[in-house]
This record gives sequence, C-alpha cells and structure tokens, in this order.
Amino acid sequence: MAFMKKILYLLLISFLSEIIFADNVNVYTSRHYDSDDALYEEFTKETGIKVNIISGKGSALLERIKSEGINSPADIFFTVDAGNLWKVQKEGLFQSINSKKVLSSVPAELRGPNDEWTAVAKRARVIFYNPMKIRPSEIQDLTYEDLANEEWRNRIVIRSSSNMYNQSLVASLIANLGEEDTEIWAKGFVKNFARKPQGNDRSQIIAVSNGEADMAIANSYYIGIMLSGSAGKEQEEAAKRVKIHFPNQNDRGVHINISGAGILKSSPNPVNANLFLEFLLSKKVQKHMVDRSYEYPIVEGVLPSSEISSFGLNFKEDNTAVSQFGELNPKAIRLMDRSGWK
Amino acid sequence: MLPFALLIIFCAPIFIVLSSLFGEYSDNWIHLYNYVLADYVSSTFFLISGVSVLVFFIGTITAWIVTNYDFYGKSFFEWSLILPLSIPPYILAYTFTGLFDPFGDANNLIRSIFNLGSDVSIFPNVRNIYGAIVVFSFTLYPYVYLVSRSAFLNQSKSMKESARLLGLSEIGVFFRLSLPIIRPAAIGGMMLVIMETLSDFGAVDHFAIQTFTTGIFRTWQGMYDLQTAMQLASLLLLVVGLFFILERSSRNKAAFTSNDSSFRPENEIRLPSMKSFWAFLICFIPLFIGFILPITELIFWAFESESSFINKKFIQTSFNSVSLAIISGLVTAFLALIINFSIRFKPGAIIKRLSSLLSIGYAVPGLILAVGMVQLFIYIDNNFLDSTRIVLTGSIFGLLLAYIIKTYALANSSIESGYERITSSMDDSSKLLGSTGWGMLARVHLPLLKTSFLTATLLVMSEVVKELPATLILRPFNFETLAVSTYIYAAEERMFQAASPAIAIVLIGLIPIFFLSKMIRSSNKLG
Repeated sequence: MAFMKKILYLLLISFLSEIIFADNVNVYTSRHYDSDDALYEEFTKETGIKVNIISGKGSALLERIKSEGINSPADIFFTVDAGNLWKVQKEGLFQSINSKKVLSSVPAELRGPNDEWTAVAKRARVIFYNPMKIRPSEIQDLTYEDLANEEWRNRIVIRSSSNMYNQSLVASLIANLGEEDTEIWAKGFVKNFARKPQGNDRSQIIAVSNGEADMAIANSYYIGIMLSGSAGKEQEEAAKRVKIHFPNQNDRGVHINISGAGILKSSPNPVNANLFLEFLLSKKVQKHMVDRSYEYPIVEGVLPSSEISSFGLNFKEDNTAVSQFGELNPKAIRLMDRSGWK
Repeated sequence: MLPFALLIIFCAPIFIVLSSLFGEYSDNWIHLYNYVLADYVSSTFFLISGVSVLVFFIGTITAWIVTNYDFYGKSFFEWSLILPLSIPPYILAYTFTGLFDPFGDANNLIRSIFNLGSDVSIFPNVRNIYGAIVVFSFTLYPYVYLVSRSAFLNQSKSMKESARLLGLSEIGVFFRLSLPIIRPAAIGGMMLVIMETLSDFGAVDHFAIQTFTTGIFRTWQGMYDLQTAMQLASLLLLVVGLFFILERSSRNKAAFTSNDSSFRPENEIRLPSMKSFWAFLICFIPLFIGFILPITELIFWAFESESSFINKKFIQTSFNSVSLAIISGLVTAFLALIINFSIRFKPGAIIKRLSSLLSIGYAVPGLILAVGMVQLFIYIDNNFLDSTRIVLTGSIFGLLLAYIIKTYALANSSIESGYERITSSMDDSSKLLGSTGWGMLARVHLPLLKTSFLTATLLVMSEVVKELPATLILRPFNFETLAVSTYIYAAEERMFQAASPAIAIVLIGLIPIFFLSKMIRSSNKLG
C-alpha cells in the first residue's frame, strides 16, 4: 500500500509542481547534453530560480508549444539547429529579446531578424581528412563547391540527407550559389560518395580514420568528444589519425550553424527567461559550456576547449545569416531528393 | 455507455491523424510522388515482407519444437525464447552496428584472434534493409512464438496420430496439419509484429534506410509540412486497416477451435542425440541474436563507461519506468476486458469497430500519434478542465493516457483470444445461475480469463518500459524514464553512457517476462 501511496503522491506532484515552486524558468530543449544539466543547477544556485526541463525532438516540441497556445508553460525554446529556431520565429511564437547584455555580446547574423532568438554556441561543418591519403596541395584552398569535382570520385563520406546539419549546409549553398547551381553541385557531389550515406557524424570520421574513405564532412565538435577519450580509447585513437580542413577560406568562409534560444511570447516568467539567456551568454558559462560540448563560444574573449583550439582558431566563418537556413530548408531537402542523396 | 465513451476519447488522436486526409494537399505531394514515394513504398514493403516471413518461421518452428519434443535444454528454451521481447529494436540496431561495423567489436575481435589486417571485415554490413529485417525479426518474433505455442498446446494428439497413421512424416505433420491449424493465431501475432515494425523510427533511422516512416519524419521535420506527414501516416494506417480486415475474414473462415474437453495430454517425443542437437541449435540462434548478443555488448559498453551508473537520478528514473509500466499495464488490460465484454453482448455494434481502430493505432509512428495526443489533451484542458492553465498535458495522468492509447492493441489481442475460448453456453449457464451483466464479468469471465488478463498486463508493461516518442513529448518537467535516458545518450551515439539505462530497460522488461514465462511453464503442466 505504501507503494500505491507513493504513486498517488507522484500523481499529485505532477499536477501541482508548477504551483509549489513559484520562481521558475521552464525550458523546452532539443539539446540533450548531459553537461547542460550542470549549467542549469549552477543557474539555480546563483539566482534561486528553478530550471524545469522538457527535452525532445525540436519539431515535436514546437507542435506542443503551438497547441498549448497562450497557456503554454514554456518560457524558453532551446535547440541545436538554426532551422528549428526559424520555424518558431515564423509561427510568431517568439518575443523580441531586449536584454542589452545579450544584444551587445552576440553579432547580428547570429540573432533572429528582429532579435527573436540568439545563438548560444556555434559549430562549424568542416572537412575531416586522412593525411596519408590526401596531399597538402590537394586540400589547400579546397571549397565545398570543389567536392563535386571528379577527382573526388568514391572518396567522400557524409551522413544521410535526413540529417538537419546537411540540410542546413545545402541551404547555405542555395543562399550563396542559387538553387540551380547547387543542384548541379549536389548531383556531382553524390557521385563522389564512397558509400551509401549511413551512421552519424562520428561514424564518418571513423570511416576516414580507418581508410574506408579519404574525407568526411561532419560537425567540428565531434572530434573534441572523440579526442577527450570519453567515448573510449578506440575513438580517441581514430580521432588522432584525421586532420581538419576549414573550406572556403579564400571566399565566404566555413559553414557555421548554431545552438540557440529564444523567449516565447506566452512566457509566464519573462524576467527569469531573460536572466537565463544572459546567464548562458556570460563569459563564465560560455567557457564552461564549450569546454564540455566542444562547440565554439559566441562571446568574445572566450576560448574553445583545448582539443578544439588545437585545430586553429583563425579561420574565416561564413556570415550568411543563419535564419536563411531555416527558410531554405524545405528547398534544400527537395533538392537533395532530386539529386539522389539518400 | 462507459466503454463507448472511453473508446471515443482514446480513438481521438487517431481521428486527428486521419482527419488530415480531408485537409488540403500541398505541392510537396508532387515532389514526393516524383522522387521518393516509390522508394518509400517498395522498401517498406520489402521490410515488412522479410520480417513477416522470418518471424513466422522463427516463431512457429521454435514453438513447435518446444511443445512436441523433449531435447537438451527444452525447459530452458520454453521460457527463454521470449526474452528478446525485452530488447527494443533500436537498441538491437545500435548494438548491431557496434559489433558488425567494419571496426565494430566483433570484427576487431576476429581480427585480433586470427591476426588479420585492418582491411579485412568478416561480417557483412548491417546498415541496410537486410540488417533491419534481422533486427525487427529477432526482437519481435516472441509475439508469434507466444501465440503459436499456446495454439500448439491446444492441438489434439489424436489428430496428429491419425495423420501419422495416414503416412505423413513428422515434418509433414508440421507443415500440412499443425501449421495450417494454428495459422490464424500466428497471423494475429504477425499483425502485431508488422504494426510495431511500421511504427518504429529509431532502428530504421539508425541504419539510414528510407522507409515510409522515415519519409514521414523527413516531410515533417525537413520540409516543415506536418499536414503532409500526417496524410502519409494516414495512408499507412489505411493499408494496415486493410490488412486487419483481411486477417479478420481469414480468421472467421478458419475456425478450428477444439471444444473437445476430453483431449488427451501430449506425450513429448524424446529426440535422439543428433536431432536433439539440431533442436537445440534452432532454438538457440534466435535467443542468441535477439538477446545474448545485444546484452553482452551492452554490458561491455557499461564497463567501458567511466561514470558509475547507480546514483540517485538513476534510481528515480527506474522507479518512474516501473510504476508507469505497472499502472498502465493493469489499466489497459482492464480496459480491454470491459470493452471486449461489451462487444460480446452487442456483437456488430460500433464499439467493435472503434476497438479495432484503436488497435491499428499501434501502427502509427509514435511521434505522429503523440502530436494527435497533444492536440486532444489541450482540447480537453481548454474546454473541460481549466481554461487558464495546462493541466493534462505534461502530467503523469496524460502520460498514462498516452500509454493506454499506444498499447491497447497488445492488451486487446490477448483478451480477445481469451474470450474466443469461452463458449456462449457458459454465458447461458451463468445467467441461469443468476450472474448477469457486470456480475458475470466479475464472477465468471474474469476467473476464466485470468491468464489472458495477466498476459495482457505483462505485454503492455514490457512495451511501456520501452516506449519513447510519446514519453519524450508528453512527460512532465524534469521527468525521465529509462527509455528517455537511453535516447538522450544514444542520440549522440554515446553508447557507453547509454548502455546502463538500456540494460535497466532490459532488466525491468524481464520482470513481466519472468511472470509470463512462469505462466508458460505452468500451462505446460496442465496442457
């Protein structure tokens, strides 16, 4: 019977939890990083505001926010792809951020058009290559566009077109080259695949390290996780065998995507939500975050983790407004379908 | 009236998904039709066909062997053959790639034993549709095994003896007599397998296979077109509905139930040593691929992980999973019981159709169904509960509702087949003795359906522990289940950290399966 009592108690708590803790900030997040939990605890320690979390797939969380309407308990939507932020922005669910601290520390191309959201961390989609297979002269000055050339036939691995990072990359190409040229590019690029797209970003890096392919396209932070050893000895060894190339250094720069967050219009605790964003963008927290997630920081004067810094910091970033990725995402996915990118 | 009202509410998320068919059709349909739909349909069809054939043979053959023969390990296999049910398909998929990728643990092991170069891979690539067929078949065949076994146990011995006298070989008896007789039951089990395969996203996504389900998610998440995604899901639902009707009509035509209460217990045939070895091997392979292999890899990963896994959060998470499983198991089984009871006395009524509809809802991809649930819950919240606050969504109660909707098919199939064994003459006798209405349910049906009721509860429990998409989106703040913890790590492919909660899912899944297998053993003594 004690067991049933416990269950009833849990049921009751689930109904009442919002009332008991008056000072809250409710975060809907599609970032599933363990390290974020420590940050939330730190925020509570500093401010006394409790951070309540629901994590899930970005698009599903969006549907929940939309359905909940004005009664939604959500204060913050926190996610890992610019496309997801754009979707919420387009639905008109975000309010503009007016915190001076936030606006002064984040460059305009990493915020929503009307400051609906802000980037919290950055990642670059870079080329990982096997230095035994690719000469420095080949890789130097290499651009994303070059990857459609015949010399790379059967030498490239990349994950499936269902992945949002690939969709954003293609969207950025559409923004810069136009749809027609991007489609010609994609058709050539697909011919250069060493294998049918499969696995996640990390398995692409491993494939290069093992000699299954000569180069892979993947997000920058994966190499940090692998080098840190937290994913096991073998991945650490594999990571040591590959090098990073930042493409398009002579023109627009390497493709950048973001982790970002915004405050919802219906937010019941907007003041706390603002504090939360300012907290995420404070130097101390930025450092703490990128040391564990291996992303690049947004705020100036903060260095990425040592693993990531070792690949160089003075590279040129593509300044294409990340909000365009979301807008062009449906176009990108249809284009990839037409090009036979599985 | 109560069962009817409940069914209407529970079917609402499915109605919401289906209602998309009457909405607008976007231009994305032209794109889908021109470039990808044919691929989605053909790969899904291939996947389903492969899985159906494989589970049918694995399920029926192993069931046949353990019910008819005595061989080394028989009593062990009788219950252990259902163990793979505790492994969610996506976890088997992750362990498969962990083992069989060119630099997976299995390939590394073989290379180090035989001192081979790193360019040699012994095992074939699993990240393709064949790999997916194996993954689904070896985690889901127990559904077919369970029903086939109880059907074989109910087969009369004299029938088989007559067949032998008429010149059929042992194998002939299996293929030409026993198998056709249990076909309806086996197909019922296969329907569950097919529906679960269709609704799965994790495993096919991990293997990067373009199926109908992954297409639904691409359309929703990539093209931002939920409407078209729901229309795709509805089409899937209609096809499953068609299958369902076909299965029903085949079941009606083939009513082979034996009402002969004087049927003689089975004498198992003792196998000679060579045949005993083959029987052992045939039963061992599914158990090995579906359970021993993934569990070994998970334990290996768990040891590689640096963080200790038994901490306060882990215990709380396990408690959440267990209590949700128990409550939803009992509630869903009870619901299926009263609905089937109502159907029994109003045959052909609309309630029967609703019950079938709720069953085929099992085939809707979890996330899509969850969207329907969110819309239903918010509607109830706004109109019936508290129009100024969200109460139902994000509450444990809402989560339980979601589990009932999602797992009703499992409970229903078990209770339904239980009811098929209660003859209408028993109803008449109990009426004569003064038990009518709900009294009959409590005093006559429930005792007779005890086994079916327990099976229903346990099947739902093992499913709830594994359930992910609805839990992710509908759970309260700061509330994790083991499946959620596993997903959070596995989504990042941090398999070492994902291993501990995954093992816990399996261990908890083993509890209901332990009771199921106990029932199997006791039914054997009776049978």
